[in-house]
Amino acid sequence: MSTTEREHDAVVDERGRANLVRLLRVAYPHPQFPDGPYERTADTIIEQVGVSPWHRISLVNGLQTLDAAAGGSFADLEEPAALTLLRSVENAEFFVFVRGVTVTTLYNDHEVWDLLGYEGASFDQGGYLHRGFDDLDWLPSPRIEEYAGPDQLLEVAPDDEPTGRGR
Amino acid sequence: MTTQQLGTPIAHDDEAVVIIGSGAGGGTLAHELTARGIPCVVLEAGPFLKPEDYENDEWAAFNQMAWLDNRTASGSYRVARDFPNLPAWIVKAVGGSTTHWSGATPRFRAYEFRAKTYYGGVEGANLLDWPITLDDLAPYYDKAEIAIGSTHRHGRPPLPANNNYKVFANGAEKVGYRYYATGPYGTNAEPYDGRPASIQDGFNFQGDKNTSKWSTAVREIPRALATGKCDLRTEAQAVQVTHDAQGRADGVLYLDSDGNMHRQNAKVVCAAGNSIESPRLLLLSASALHPDGLANSSGQVGRNYMRHTTGSVYARFDEPVRMYRGETMAGIIADEARQDTSRGFAGGYYMETLALGPAFLAAFVDPGTWGPDFTELLDAYQRTAGMWIVGEDMPQETNQVTLNTALLDQWGLPAPDVHFDDHPNDVAMRLHGYGRADMLYEAVGATGTHHTPPYPATHNLGTCRMSAEPEDGVVDRFGQAHDVPRLFISDGSVMTTGAAANPTLTIVALAIRQAEYIADELGKGTL
Repeated sequence: MSTTEREHDAVVDERGRANLVRLLRVAYPHPQFPDGPYERTADTIIEQVGVSPWHRISLVNGLQTLDAAAGGSFADLEEPAALTLLRSVENAEFFVFVRGVTVTTLYNDHEVWDLLGYEGASFDQGGYLHRGFDDLDWLPSPRIEEYAGPDQLLEVAPDDEPTGRGR
Repeated sequence: MTTQQLGTPIAHDDEAVVIIGSGAGGGTLAHELTARGIPCVVLEAGPFLKPEDYENDEWAAFNQMAWLDNRTASGSYRVARDFPNLPAWIVKAVGGSTTHWSGATPRFRAYEFRAKTYYGGVEGANLLDWPITLDDLAPYYDKAEIAIGSTHRHGRPPLPANNNYKVFANGAEKVGYRYYATGPYGTNAEPYDGRPASIQDGFNFQGDKNTSKWSTAVREIPRALATGKCDLRTEAQAVQVTHDAQGRADGVLYLDSDGNMHRQNAKVVCAAGNSIESPRLLLLSASALHPDGLANSSGQVGRNYMRHTTGSVYARFDEPVRMYRGETMAGIIADEARQDTSRGFAGGYYMETLALGPAFLAAFVDPGTWGPDFTELLDAYQRTAGMWIVGEDMPQETNQVTLNTALLDQWGLPAPDVHFDDHPNDVAMRLHGYGRADMLYEAVGATGTHHTPPYPATHNLGTCRMSAEPEDGVVDRFGQAHDVPRLFISDGSVMTTGAAANPTLTIVALAIRQAEYIADELGKGTL
């Protein structure tokens, strides 16, 4: 375990991690999110590359060369320019890997759930039965029973009756 | 976890009814047969998860119960690109996919049992009429609805309107739909059958900790075990069905969790492993008498794989919705579930409320996308309403479950490959559904809508289809293999065509009918 972790430290360096955090902010922009969720996601990505030499070499190389692609420092690029640069690498293996981990990590972060207005586990609080499962008040209360009026759903249109096609 | 033996032990050399799988089909069969005093061995590939084990957390629950053994998806459908190792989202646990099913229980319509007659010659579709009609199945639909406790049926009251339903139903009314309601739905609105009323906790695809939702894990399997006639073996993966010199099914080979092979003698074998595992098992059971796979003289084993034409629409509003609060799918519109080719396609579809948490929404709303257009969808989470479109897809011979000999599972057996191409009829129906959903949501003030592509399939159907003639399909009108006496298929694989409705109710109804037939035939000594 410790050997593996030393290898990570040796591989994605501070500058690589900074580029990764910046990449995540630009690719998944939520102005209301603080740095924490992005940093935790970056650390999860770095942790997960340990299990695959292919992902590791792709990620390290990808993050390092973002600086070259940016003509200096990717982390210092303004957002529109950084977004344009990322669009040009979106099919690169390292970026595909980053995306795959990010959608299952960033949006599984409980601080992010709070920020987006999702309340998480509810069974231990008695569900939402007495906590607003029906508190939407900007529309009238609709019917919940099945339709009981005079009409009947026509299951088959007249032109679609087999006899109607001359069979 | 390891293989457990629960219930009353049955010796390996005793001839029992051997049921493979404990979901909607297998769990129902076990209950119906043991209640009649017929000994059953149930082989379940997954563990016995209990309500207290279920997690109120999308990814944790997925990793706990989803079938994640090696599988591949191929073909031109988008799932093959986005989720190449997850063609289906089904459950590997006692209760099977009834553990995570939504709960919607519409019946099939009469015309849907006669798809070839009504739809005529749809190019590229391998349509066939069922060998049974709605009238044949109607009494069993009654029994299935009573077992499940479907709301709006047999005196069961409707569930109340939750937030997502309020948007959905008001939109439906505005666009002129009439046939909408909060059900029929397999979750208790009031205490019923020894289980409590829903507490609207919003977790459903994760297993219902409150047990208000019907599943065979909370109803049929415990009752079967209580008869003293059921031997349930968990984490027991069936790998082959064997036959005797007369070609009759006579046993099942299975692996326990340590990889040890066992053989259970069988008087009757019922395969209920879902529409991917059941044909895979038949293909793994090829013999000198059945060189192309057991019960496959028609060549139809694994073919005509259907997954329903699906899509989701997520609509954004100015005001809060909080779609995740309450029962996930307690909202059904049936107005489009009809045959009317003036819409540009054969068959019909339902619209049903659907809510995901941010974790699943991010993964499934538009797989592979990123950037500001993507994050806009998540930022609107609290103001979003959602629905699922689910309709009939066309059976095609080339949509097929096969053995992928290039990829083995953890036991060294070839993994199943699920090949699927959308039929043009499927595409036309999906686009129509997206359009109607947009109209519905815009009628109540949506500021934008997003069309989400099909998820890994939760409805897997058709790969051992029922037919009147042996050359057209795999099983007869009671689900017994045309080619192999004493071999039954007891899951959604037997569906000749898929209809528009969510399939669980029909799987349960077919299983109750099949159990009655097996018990009668065993009683007469004719099986």
